[in-house]
Amino acid sequence: MARIRFEHVEKKYSNGFHAVKDLNLDIQDKEFIVLLGPSGCGKSTTLNMIAGLEDISDGALRFDDEIVNFAPPHRRDVAMVFQSYALYPHKSVFDNIGFGLKMRKVPRDEIERRVREAAGKLEIDHLLDRRPSQLSGGQRQRVALGRAMVREPAAFLMDEPLSNLDAALRISMRAEIKELHRAMQTTFVYVTHDQAEALTLADRIVVMNDGVVQQIGTPDDIYERPKNTFVASFLGNPPINYIDGQIESTDGSTARFRRGDLAFDLPASIAAKLGSSHGREVRLGIRAEDVDETAAGAAGSVIRGKVNSILPVGSDQFLGFDLAGQELFFRVGKDLAHNLGDDVALSVDLNRLHLFDKDSGETLLW
Amino acid sequence: MATTERANLIDDRRRLALSHLTRNVVIFVSAIVLMLYVLAPVTWLVSSSFQTEAEIVSVPPHWIPENPTLMNFEAIFGATAEEEVTYETRSGQDPASGGYIPSTAGNLLPAMGNSLIVATLVVILNLLVGVPAAYALAKIRFLGRDASVYFILVTRVIPDIALVVPFFLVIRKLGLLDSLGSLVLTYLAVTVPFTVFILVQFFEGLPDELDKAARVDGCSRFQSLVRVFLPLSLPSLVAVILFTFLTSWNEFLLALMFTQTEASQTLPIVLAAFTSDFTISFSFINAAGVLAIVPPVVVAVIFERYIVSGLTAGAVKG
Repeated sequence: MARIRFEHVEKKYSNGFHAVKDLNLDIQDKEFIVLLGPSGCGKSTTLNMIAGLEDISDGALRFDDEIVNFAPPHRRDVAMVFQSYALYPHKSVFDNIGFGLKMRKVPRDEIERRVREAAGKLEIDHLLDRRPSQLSGGQRQRVALGRAMVREPAAFLMDEPLSNLDAALRISMRAEIKELHRAMQTTFVYVTHDQAEALTLADRIVVMNDGVVQQIGTPDDIYERPKNTFVASFLGNPPINYIDGQIESTDGSTARFRRGDLAFDLPASIAAKLGSSHGREVRLGIRAEDVDETAAGAAGSVIRGKVNSILPVGSDQFLGFDLAGQELFFRVGKDLAHNLGDDVALSVDLNRLHLFDKDSGETLLW
Repeated sequence: MATTERANLIDDRRRLALSHLTRNVVIFVSAIVLMLYVLAPVTWLVSSSFQTEAEIVSVPPHWIPENPTLMNFEAIFGATAEEEVTYETRSGQDPASGGYIPSTAGNLLPAMGNSLIVATLVVILNLLVGVPAAYALAKIRFLGRDASVYFILVTRVIPDIALVVPFFLVIRKLGLLDSLGSLVLTYLAVTVPFTVFILVQFFEGLPDELDKAARVDGCSRFQSLVRVFLPLSLPSLVAVILFTFLTSWNEFLLALMFTQTEASQTLPIVLAAFTSDFTISFSFINAAGVLAIVPPVVVAVIFERYIVSGLTAGAVKG
């Protein structure tokens, strides 16, 4: 029911802080959009602008075609779930969930019906008489979701709704939120700094930093084809590794990356995109999982170094790897036994390399 | 070896028990001393209001009246403003006690009425002005917000005595001298900054997200204040009510300046006047004192049960 469009939207606070810069974003009806970024990147401000809780300094915000810059929150058909849940402590669970409907003058029996229905779906129907203080964190989270659900809003806004939950609950709630989106058939805008949440939930992810959108795309786009080093570093665990070096001998069909003794022939698909950039300073990105130790065959794509830390993470292990003074982290199988100080050779999957301009940090590949 | 260790352990335990005992005794004795210090004057006030003038001056004093009498209270409720008490007729009205009735005895009850009216109005107006002001200062970001808070606070640190002359000029200009209006107006000027200060502190402590949740749920700013913030602020509202009521009830200096007749005189003024009459009847004054502490005590008892902590528990993850 709601397509939400930002057109050149700016947000400046009175203290001069420029929270959001020239934001252009077209959120489709029924889309699940995740705003992802570090704290202070402007993602929550963006969400608050959709809700009407923050003024818009410049530009236009449209719901469908109507400009809503100046509509107060209670005139916008949106519901919101907060990180701290923000339940009304003096009201019972029933009244918490029904409050939005009561304020919109929905008849009492209709409120009763919708609250019980939502509580049933969320499996909190036995808690309706309790106060928020008598609930566990997970139950409060469900009440907060229920409060938004019963409104049947045009857009569902969530501000880091899972970050106060413990790890196991967070993963199960992720699945429930995804199911909720499927069942409600409405637009979701979800703010998080957790890459895993973003990758699992989103139809499209908007990566933000310093108030500027870095990239908008599907989870696959964002992970596989990051537009710049910020996006590349923000997703991935452990983070992507960078090796600074130069492009050598490119004639449009072959290209070679060199850093000191280390040199790779880059695949033709990459070389084709580099054009004539002989001597260009670049930053090579290798995702932690894009190395293989067992198949250290293909000469020219092998990096060698010393193991200087080993972090087992259950399913596999992170290997700290010293490449001529530069610390890299790779994810390798846990059945590979290593000792600190071992010399290791890892084969890099050249087709999955990322290449960025060293100064601007922008990708050279797409 | 084992036996020595055991003996040492027992010794240690005894020393510990002894030090606990000593500490408890010290705390207990201090508590008793403090309690006497606080309660003795009030106890004497109440006790002596039931004594005759003769019994009051007996040595040693009778903490429990030997011949309790209600004469003092009868004298207060019997006195009327019309009844003129002169030097010649000053005694004999209280034959049992042999005490003297102050010439202004008849003003006591009307003054109490005045005090009640002024205090109640000041409380109500304080809430009407202070609550929205505090909400705005705490939850709405606007230019000059910090400056406003400081400005309001600064007015609070100016001593009343410095304000008396300017107040007097304003009140005279407004033609409010010797009226309850003068008191309500000036007491508001003194108490509203305090009210705003207390409530701003409290509202700032309530999470912003509660306000946001209420507004997304369909509340206007005002509805958010009334439906979400006020129910959660009961403890601080009660503190404000008690403070403003007591301040107005006890205020002396401004009342002395702006009131001249029984039309506007408040209780502290009339009570104080009893000590400067032809002669002084302590039993009568003490009975009047007992009456003067009744309304504040009643107000405190009514509102005390709302001063509960933990009302906001569970609003956000805690």
